Amino acid sequence: MSFVSVQKLQKSYAGSPVFENIDCQVERGEFVTLLGPSGCGKSTLLRCIAGLTPVDSGQILLDGQDIVPLTPQKRGIGMVFQSYALFPNMTVEQNVAFGLRMQKVKADESQVRVREVLELVELNSFAGRYPHQLSGGQCQRVALARSLVTRPRLLLLDEPLSALDARIRKHLREQIRAIQRELGLTTIFVTHDQEEALTMSDRIVLMNQGRIVQSGDAETLYTAPVDLFAAGFIGNYNLLDADRASRLLQRPVSGRLAIRPESITLGLNGELDAEVRSHSLLGNVIRYRVQVREVELVVDVLNRSAADLHADGKRVSLSIDPTALREVA
Amino acid sequence: MNSSRRGRYLALLCLLPFAVFFIIFQIAPLAWVAINSLQSDSGWGLANFSKVFASKFYLQALQRSLEISFWSSLFGIVIATLGAYSLHKVDSRLRDFVTAFANMTSNFAGVPLAFAFIILLGFNGALTLLLKQMGLLGDFSIYSKTGLILVYTYFQIPLGVLLLFPAFDAVREDWRESAALLGASQWQFWRHIGLPVLAPALLGTFVILLANALGAYATVYALTTGNFNVLPIRIAGLVAGDISLDPNLASALAMVLVGLMTLVTVVHQWLLRRSYHAR
Amino acid sequence: MRAETGKGGLYHKLVVYLLFLILLLPLAGTLLYSLATSWSATMLPSGLTFKWYVALWSEPRFLAAFGQSLLVCVGALLLSVLLILPLLFVVHYHFPRLDAFMNVLILLPFAVPPVVSSVGLLQLYGSGPMAMVGTPWILIGCYFTIALPFMYRAITNNLQAINLRDLMDAAQLLGASTWQAAMLVVLPNLRKGLMVALLLSFSFLFGEFVFANLLVGTRYETLQVYLNNMRNSSGHFNSALVISYFAFVLVLTWVANRLNKDKT
Repeated sequence: MSFVSVQKLQKSYAGSPVFENIDCQVERGEFVTLLGPSGCGKSTLLRCIAGLTPVDSGQILLDGQDIVPLTPQKRGIGMVFQSYALFPNMTVEQNVAFGLRMQKVKADESQVRVREVLELVELNSFAGRYPHQLSGGQCQRVALARSLVTRPRLLLLDEPLSALDARIRKHLREQIRAIQRELGLTTIFVTHDQEEALTMSDRIVLMNQGRIVQSGDAETLYTAPVDLFAAGFIGNYNLLDADRASRLLQRPVSGRLAIRPESITLGLNGELDAEVRSHSLLGNVIRYRVQVREVELVVDVLNRSAADLHADGKRVSLSIDPTALREVA
Repeated sequence: MNSSRRGRYLALLCLLPFAVFFIIFQIAPLAWVAINSLQSDSGWGLANFSKVFASKFYLQALQRSLEISFWSSLFGIVIATLGAYSLHKVDSRLRDFVTAFANMTSNFAGVPLAFAFIILLGFNGALTLLLKQMGLLGDFSIYSKTGLILVYTYFQIPLGVLLLFPAFDAVREDWRESAALLGASQWQFWRHIGLPVLAPALLGTFVILLANALGAYATVYALTTGNFNVLPIRIAGLVAGDISLDPNLASALAMVLVGLMTLVTVVHQWLLRRSYHAR
Repeated sequence: MRAETGKGGLYHKLVVYLLFLILLLPLAGTLLYSLATSWSATMLPSGLTFKWYVALWSEPRFLAAFGQSLLVCVGALLLSVLLILPLLFVVHYHFPRLDAFMNVLILLPFAVPPVVSSVGLLQLYGSGPMAMVGTPWILIGCYFTIALPFMYRAITNNLQAINLRDLMDAAQLLGASTWQAAMLVVLPNLRKGLMVALLLSFSFLFGEFVFANLLVGTRYETLQVYLNNMRNSSGHFNSALVISYFAFVLVLTWVANRLNKDKT
């Protein structure tokens, strides 16, 4: 049986359901991401697991034990918040030691463990600082250390990177993943950022409107979205309705069609005549908008050299990898 | 360049009327008091001050002022703290209504307040007679020190609630949640995080209440027709009374009061700078 | 913080109701007394009547005091606006560093209670070239100092919210002079905040007693002084007076609250 098992969980606020009948499993040592737009219920699910939000009905089994009746204090779950939630009246060291103090761990042991965990997040030299003297990234590392030091059975991360700027976000992403692997810590991570989800997770649980849409590894979610929402939320799929899809493929298509932008090749001897409408440079990728058979498509091309660049208005031809075409409901 | 310099001179000129009025009505009287507190029949010196501190009468006034201020501020802040915290925890309609009401009652001080208390709790007050009949009142009198502390506490409460209400915003919900997940009980959260974070605001508010009570004149004057011995009553008595007028001695007493208030203000500003939500 | 439900929620509700009750009790008692024909040693008065209000509002001395209070307060607020607005504008636009100094300066009215200022005022302006004691003029000046800290802070907050410097720069790039920019762009944006500050200042100036009693007394009787001088008349009459005063202040603060809410 799975290490964490959420069964038939229900939650509503003021009469309107946040989610109904949620079932979800996490294996021991797994890094699972709850991905979805804001308001999809992913944060509420996380808070229910932590015990911060009461559930209406259903079970949450942690290591075989139903934790729903337990207070947050007794669940042995660590959590990191988007807003860091560091205690402003305590130094970094005191913040990290707080959980141990509540468990009445002896001072000398506590000191050793605090030092260890600060080493892990590379903040040893900041032990005496107060939170307001730290940068956002440093604050979040302290928060991480604070939730790790009590050796929780399960670690919950609630959009921990969303308040940070891009460069720090990338670095911290890798650091969190490395620490999680090193400690073999079962982790549930909540985010609305598909790139974060794709790069960090063992498995992604995609949620929308209180429902689990699809669950699987990054590869599956990216290449095989089960429905329109999944295709729209992950990657920059070209989504065509039946009408336009039929026009493009020149054969009747009943449902909607999803085409990933990088599965289309631009060249001079492809099968379809097209015209470049506009282009924008996204670093190593050039994103073109092209018009083909009165359908506008987004095409991503690796930016190899300036000579390859197609100017706006230029006539090109393109080919579409037929295996990358997905009809979705 | 030239025109911008002229603009600055013009701007400075705009400050002039303000400066004139501020000097006439604020600085000059204070300066007069400061200078004349040092002047007595025997010439320049601290004679007035030694007279104040040698007189049992004036020392009693000082002591009573401090006692009434301290106790009313303490009761006021305890009630205001409980109230302000609970206000954050009830639904917004009740919260808005009661804060608005507190806002209005904060203007209910001085003479009207004293009258309300006299009417209800005076010698022949409606409540006094009722409570006496029920045998509940004992020898309580609204005109005694205890009575004054009660009345003062009443006008401290709305002020305390208004000052403390925003401070509770600084105590964030996610701190409480993190503390809970780290194993802290409700009580441990307040002991280790909530109260330390609120401490500057609580002390700062206490100090404002203290100043508010120390300088209060209207309430005690209206309540006891100037017969209760506190500092503001003594000062006013020495410049506007019917008997012994002594503006110089009044100035010395006034400087004692100003000294206390300055101390309180400085402490408050210092606390304000230390508070967490100022960062 | 979100509203709590359940046992904790009940406790908080109880505390808030209790707080409301404490604040309400003296007022409610006074209101009841002002409407009572007579009331002694019973739970409730023996009968209800409006006669005390009728008596109060047909008393010429009360009406005169009310009017004089209005005049003094309005005068003081006019003076305050005329003095404080240019000051704030100049400080924030030309000499931002003065703000720190001003913040210390406006602590003075707070640290110096009216009873202290009165000592000096009585001596300085009791006689001689600037004799003002006993006239409303001295009250207007003194009330300006009382309103100053509050008005300064309130309007400063407003100025910061509207981003004075950017507004002025934008107006001037469009061809307005400093004067035009201040009058046509900045002032209209401050209007609502200014109204709120004025209404609230008015409500506490209207209750001022110390200066009024010590410096002027019965020579230009304000409402508070009148109230104090009526101490020996009927308690019911006085209650009607207290309630009338409070109702007036209540309306003012209520309007200020409404304006404040509409602002966003």
